[in-house]
This record gives sequence, structure tokens and C-alpha cells, in this order.
Amino acid sequence: MKKLVEIKDVSKIYNPGENEVRALNHVNLTIGEGEFVAIIGQSGSGKSTLMNMLGCLDTPTSGKYYLHGQDVSHMTDDEQSDVRNREIGFIFQGFNLIPSLTALENVELPLIYRGVGKKERERLSNAALNSVGLEKRKTHKPSEMSGGQQQRVAIARAIAQAPPILLADEPTGNLDTGSTKEIISIIKRLYKEGRTVIIITHDPGIAAQAKRIITISDGQIKSDVINKDYSED
Amino acid sequence: MGTFGEYIKSAFSSIKNNKGRSFLTMLGIIIGIAAVLTVLIIGDGMKATVNSEMDSIGATTISVSLDNTKTDKLFTKDDLEEIEAAIDNIYGVSPSISVWGETQVRGEKYDMDISGGSQAMEHGSGVKMVHGRYFSASDVEDGKKVCVLSQIAAKKLFGYENAVGETVTITAYDLTADFQVIGIREDTSMDEAYASYMEEPAYMGDVPYTAAAGAFSLNIDNMSSFTIYLESENKNAVLSKARSVVENVMGLRGEGAVKISSGYGFDQTTDTILTIITSVVAIIAAISLLVGGIGVMNIMTVSVTERTREIGIRKSLGARTSSILTQFLAEAAILTFTGGIIGIILGISLSYLICRIIDFSFTVNPMLVALVVAISTGIGLFFGIYPARRAAKLDPIEALRTE
Repeated sequence: MKKLVEIKDVSKIYNPGENEVRALNHVNLTIGEGEFVAIIGQSGSGKSTLMNMLGCLDTPTSGKYYLHGQDVSHMTDDEQSDVRNREIGFIFQGFNLIPSLTALENVELPLIYRGVGKKERERLSNAALNSVGLEKRKTHKPSEMSGGQQQRVAIARAIAQAPPILLADEPTGNLDTGSTKEIISIIKRLYKEGRTVIIITHDPGIAAQAKRIITISDGQIKSDVINKDYSED
Repeated sequence: MGTFGEYIKSAFSSIKNNKGRSFLTMLGIIIGIAAVLTVLIIGDGMKATVNSEMDSIGATTISVSLDNTKTDKLFTKDDLEEIEAAIDNIYGVSPSISVWGETQVRGEKYDMDISGGSQAMEHGSGVKMVHGRYFSASDVEDGKKVCVLSQIAAKKLFGYENAVGETVTITAYDLTADFQVIGIREDTSMDEAYASYMEEPAYMGDVPYTAAAGAFSLNIDNMSSFTIYLESENKNAVLSKARSVVENVMGLRGEGAVKISSGYGFDQTTDTILTIITSVVAIIAAISLLVGGIGVMNIMTVSVTERTREIGIRKSLGARTSSILTQFLAEAAILTFTGGIIGIILGISLSYLICRIIDFSFTVNPMLVALVVAISTGIGLFFGIYPARRAAKLDPIEALRTE
């Protein structure tokens, strides 16, 4: 299995000096291509910081982060933007769709920033929306859709340009039980199709859906186990 | 370039989604642009109208002189006749000989300012005959000692205005000659000014230059300047021809010794004054444009704050700093560009209406319109830079956290 994510002795310190907070404390973590990982922790455990780090939204105070073998721990804003665009598909708790754009336009966004031409963009976006079962909602705005549908648009946006990593931050946090099931099954399907999936959650029920469960607390990894109860559906 | 089009598109859709607010923002620009344009167009109309009024006054003059640092040639009487014959569409040319003399009437001495010239002087501005006639070409040719007096001079010298037929005796350069009064012309402001000198009032009269030369022993073959009298509508044609004619006749081709001035001094002064007035009013109007620009900055700042989360989303999806910057700058530029276009339509309509009402001529300089469009878009870019940079520099984590 090829290494995709390699975090080496990473620390993140906020307010260095008197009131310093060690959000991450010498964390080491490796995730291979095609893995399905859940990172579970309570609020304040450092899981959000780890997720920002993994998503190249933040840089470590010390230590190294290699993504696809490339050191991404010290990059300019624009370089980080490019890496995010190329490597990572985000799925957020709050969906984070742009309210003024239609479903299709939202899915097109990362492709626009990648410089994909209009025709190809529309083809990829349509395919992504079809794969999450939203072929009939393409011209709807987020406000015209249910939470579950909005999250499916967000998933379509995350997979449209086929990034190697899907990074899902509490993807079902704002959803009812029915929609949660739906989203989890879509995520599992994406994993089976060969994508690397990382879910960040505080909910053991959601974490139990993944193949590998990493527990984080006080900025450190407490356990990293293979989920024996993993089921395909 | 494709992505740039996308930013423009997203800027448009954001403007469309905030129609009311976008319109209010544009209103500042619309009013500013309309005000500046209206003032400038009316200013142009005013200038054109005043200039055409001036031209319609009719007669005007062109002065021709020789630069004595470049040539020692002088005009002779024959030169002037040759030049006069070679230029079309003029009343004539005339030397301007000034004789300062005095006259004695009923034991009183009066200063006389005598102008010697040709019959063409009758076409000088302000010359209006009230009695008798002006001297003719044959009077000039024959050197007849005749004289045209101002009203004020006639009254002073003879006690009544219609002094045609009287004789005025003038002494200058120790020579004395009698001139017969053949006409009285209307007083000009110059006549009044000369006559009202407290110490030594002077009175003015015109005589044929040939007569003045004969009477006071002046040489009329060494003149350094002369004046062309013409209708103002022919001015440009005559101006373009006069130099080559004079150079030909005098044999001064290519020496740059001939000086021609159009006597447009008054016109140029009014033109300058009108330009200054228009500029001042335009600057005042431009202040409203500045206020409009600040309005754009204000609304863009609000827009950035409101859309902080959207900016965070875009950044998380891979938008670069420059992408966000372009999007917001495009939005500001589109607002002011559209405002500029509406302002231009409004400004042109308004100035057309005003020009019609106060009877100014109405022309729109396309360069001016292009300039105004450029200025309005420039305002958008300038005042959009601060909020757009603020948007582009946002930290995606912070931005995503805002509700």
C-alpha cells in the first residue's frame, strides 16, 4: 500500500508564550492509498486542528506533513490552495454550499479553480451529481433542497475532479437519521470505488462505519485500530 | 482566460442577487458621472455658442509685420497694393500710421490723434458712419486732405455734431495742413476714453495715409506693419494664405521674418475664461463622483463581510488569492462601469434638454464619453482594491467558521 498521508512529529501551538494551547502534540500518522479512516475525538481533543492540517488549511508549528510524498508543511497561501484543489475533496458538517449558486454551479467551482474548460467541467459535474442521485436537482439552489440533498451536492463537489483524498468533517452532524444512512452509504461506495476516505467525528456510531479508527485526545493519538466489525453496507 | 470569464460571471450573479443594493451603489456613480458629463457638454455648448456669436459680429482684422531682427526690408506703398491684389475675400489692407498733432479752434488748442490708413479702415470693428461718408480709394490714391472725425471730436471742435464741410487745421512735426471734414463716425470707447483725460484730452480722426504723408512729410515706403480688414468667416482661409503672399511679394521666402497675428486676442480670452468656469464646475461635480466611489468601497466592504463564509468555501476548494481578488474587483468594476453607462445616457439626455432650453449648440465629443467610461471603471477598480484585498487575504479556517 502506497503512503498517501505521512505526518511526522507534528505539533500545533496556538498563542505561543504564556497562554499557549497545544492543539496537536507530537503526532505521527500514516494513511495509505485506498484506506477508510475515522478520526474520533471529543471537542477540544485536537481533531479539528488535525483535520485542518490534513486538509492543507493550516500549517504545523513544528514537524512535517508529506502529502503524496510532497512536503506541504511550509507553503504559501496560493501553493496551499493549489494542493487543496488537486488533492483534497472536502465534505463539511454545514455543507458549505454557496447559496447564490445552483447545485451544478456549486459542483463546478473546484473545476473552475483548476482551470477546466466549460464543456469538460459540465460533463464532470453532471457525472458527479448523477452518481449521488441528484440528476433532477441540478438547477436548484441550496435553499430549495433538504439537508441530505445539500450534503449530496457537497459530496458531488468533492468528487467531481477526482481528488485522491475525501476529507469529511462531521459529514452527518446536521442530518436526520434517514439522511445520515444515505450519506454514509454514499461515502462507503466511494471508498469501495477506490478513494481514500477520512472521516472526522465525535460520534462513535459514525466512526464504527470506518475500517480503521484513530482516537485522538489532548492533542495526541491514543489508539489506532482496525475495525473488526466493519461491514460492507 | 476561461477562468477569468468565470469570475466575471460570478461577479455578475452576485450583483444580480443584490439588485436593490447594487442599484443604490450605482446611483452614486450614475449621479456623479451624469453631473460631470452634463457640465462638460454644456460648457462645450456655451463655448461654441459664444464663439459663433463673436464670429457673427462680422468684421475682423489680421495684423502683418516684419521681424526687424531677421530682415531690414520694409513695406512700400506698392508692396501693399500688390499684396492686397493677391489675397481674395478681403476688404483691403491698410497701413496704420499714427500722427500725434494738435489743432487750434477759436483760440483753444486741442490734441489730435490722427490715424492714417486706407479706405479699408472703414471695415474696422466699431466704425459706424453717422454723417457724410468715409474716404474712398480714390481719395487715398490722390492723397486728398480729407478727414473723418468722431462725434465727440466734432462737437468739441465745432460745437455741433454734423460738421461735414468744415475744415480742421492740424499741426504736427512743425508742419500745418488743412483737412476737410467729409464724415462723422460713431464714438467708440477709445474716443470716449481719450476725450475724458482730465489733463490733456485728445480727439481722434481718420485721414488717408497718403494725405498724412503729404501733409507732414512722412515716408510711406518704409512701413514695418499693416492690417488686413476682412469678414470673420473668411478668416481661416485668409490666415492660411497671407503668409505665403507676403513672403512672395517681399522676397522673404523661408526666412521666417513675417509675423502674422489674427487679432483673435479677445476671442482667446473669452475661450480661456469659459474653459476655467467649466473646469471649476466640473471639479465640483467630480466631488460627487468621489463620494460615489466611496459608496462603492463601502458596499464592497459590506459585501466582503457578508460573504466571508463564501470566500472561505471558495478558498477551501482551491481559489487562489488572485482569484478572489479578481472576483471582487470585477464586481466593483462592473458596478461602476454599468453606473457609468447609465450616467452617460442620463448626462447626455440632460445636457441635450438644457442646451435646447437655453439655446446652446449641442455636440457630444466621443473622446469625452470614452474618457468618462474609463474614469468610472477606474473608480470601481481603485475603490474596490481595499475590500477586494481584504477578501482575498482572509484565512480560510477563520472564514469557514463565520456564520
